[in-house]
Amino acid sequence: MILKKKYLNKKDNKIAITIKNLTITYKTIKKFSIKKNLLRFKKSKLDTFTAIDDVSYDVEAGKIIGIIGKNGSGKSTLLRAIAGIFSPDSGIIDLHDNTVSLLSIGVGFQRKLTGIENIYLNGLLLGFTESEIKEKMNDIIEFADIGDFIYKPVQTYSSGMYSKLAFAITSILETDIILIDEVLSVGDAEFQKKSYDRMKELITAEHRTVLIVSHNASTIKELCDEVIWLHDGKIKEIGEPGAVMDNYLKFMGRK
Amino acid sequence: MIRFFINIKKYYKYALYQAKAELKAEVANSYLNWIWWILDPLFFMIIYSFVVQVVFGNSQKYFPVFVFTALTCWDFFNRMISGSVKLVVNNRTVVTKVYIPKYILLLSKSFTYLFKYFISFVLLLILMLFFKVPFTWSMLWAIPITFVLYVVSFGIASILMHFGVYVDDLANVTNIVLRFLFYLSGIFYDIKSRLESKKFCGLNLSYVLLRYNPIANIIYEMRVTLLDGGTPSIKWLVAWFIMGIILTIIGVNTIHEYENSYAKVI
Repeated sequence: MILKKKYLNKKDNKIAITIKNLTITYKTIKKFSIKKNLLRFKKSKLDTFTAIDDVSYDVEAGKIIGIIGKNGSGKSTLLRAIAGIFSPDSGIIDLHDNTVSLLSIGVGFQRKLTGIENIYLNGLLLGFTESEIKEKMNDIIEFADIGDFIYKPVQTYSSGMYSKLAFAITSILETDIILIDEVLSVGDAEFQKKSYDRMKELITAEHRTVLIVSHNASTIKELCDEVIWLHDGKIKEIGEPGAVMDNYLKFMGRK
Repeated sequence: MIRFFINIKKYYKYALYQAKAELKAEVANSYLNWIWWILDPLFFMIIYSFVVQVVFGNSQKYFPVFVFTALTCWDFFNRMISGSVKLVVNNRTVVTKVYIPKYILLLSKSFTYLFKYFISFVLLLILMLFFKVPFTWSMLWAIPITFVLYVVSFGIASILMHFGVYVDDLANVTNIVLRFLFYLSGIFYDIKSRLESKKFCGLNLSYVLLRYNPIANIIYEMRVTLLDGGTPSIKWLVAWFIMGIILTIIGVNTIHEYENSYAKVI
């Protein structure tokens, strides 16, 4: 918390995302079937699991924030909550009217529809108009670089193509806030380089805020302005990418 | 409810595009393509006509048209109900990746069903010509009746959609209920003339079955207007319309309240 304050005082920038006392829990047995309930009168016990535990943080507009932490530390949950996919159990997430898109492995594609149709659907969901999407269609197709597959149903794609198209959509149809969950490491070497460059391009855009979840130390060090280290749903450390990353790696290696 | 309309305005383009793309995909992935949309109801009409006219010896006037009218309405209702239960789970890829008001999924689905309904309806009109059913002005009643059918189906479907997320085997239950309803709704017989004199617990059975079951009521009114050139019971149509609105409000409010935890469950 002390670290956070220090960073806030440093620059008087506009805040893009406000996270306040955010807590998110999962109830592991929430689904039930009528059959099971009829056969077993005992009420099934609900196990709750706290994925995010009282996290507060403000993201300044135009910054690139890296999020690190071991598996299950709540990184993806945090991104999904910011994307509005589910609401916090308590606490506040305020996006200050910014548009947001989440990029993660296996993006929201409809498997039976073609790449083109999925571009439209994703664009419409992100709040773009049909003409805006049409305008950028060629850029997306070109960037995705998957050839004629763009006219074929998404279910015929390889997992690499899947991610390439997804990244192309999110990076060309630019929203104010971009959330990236562990995707920079997919695609072939050429595409990795391209998406990495594109990421850098997005960084230079002044008002674009980016949150990246990654396990890749060099990506984090090179791209991010600041790193959040999540551990068991809590913020363990915030600060300079180099320092936090070193501490994190030391911590992970020690175990 | 205001939020409902704002969202509809914001997302209807998405819903429409999604529906179009889905219909297109359906066509592209089958051998006989769109012909299935016509063959499907047509064959069921032939089957029921055979069973009822030949096996049971019923001599209802314009029987094929009589059955086809009911099947047109029933198919829409049936698709809406059985489609809604697994809707959120089936759209897992979208639901877990981006925020979308969940009833937009239902809205989009309903557009595809509505499209099939209209194809079926055009077919019905052709059948009416073929069997020389007289065309009258009261056929225009089909429009408000269709509207009531849509609202009632949407209301029930939106509620089922919510519970379908949490209850794993709800689909089994709805299947049984739908089968039951299918036989009770007078799709291949006339409830009124068949059960006119039957009493059940002191109640007039035909009246109960016909009026308290929305789909039977709608099918009955549709036949009255299309086949007999009569006027439907406006009282019951309005009653079911209001009921549909109430169900929709309940469904939409429930979805608003819980939709953000759907992604955690599926």
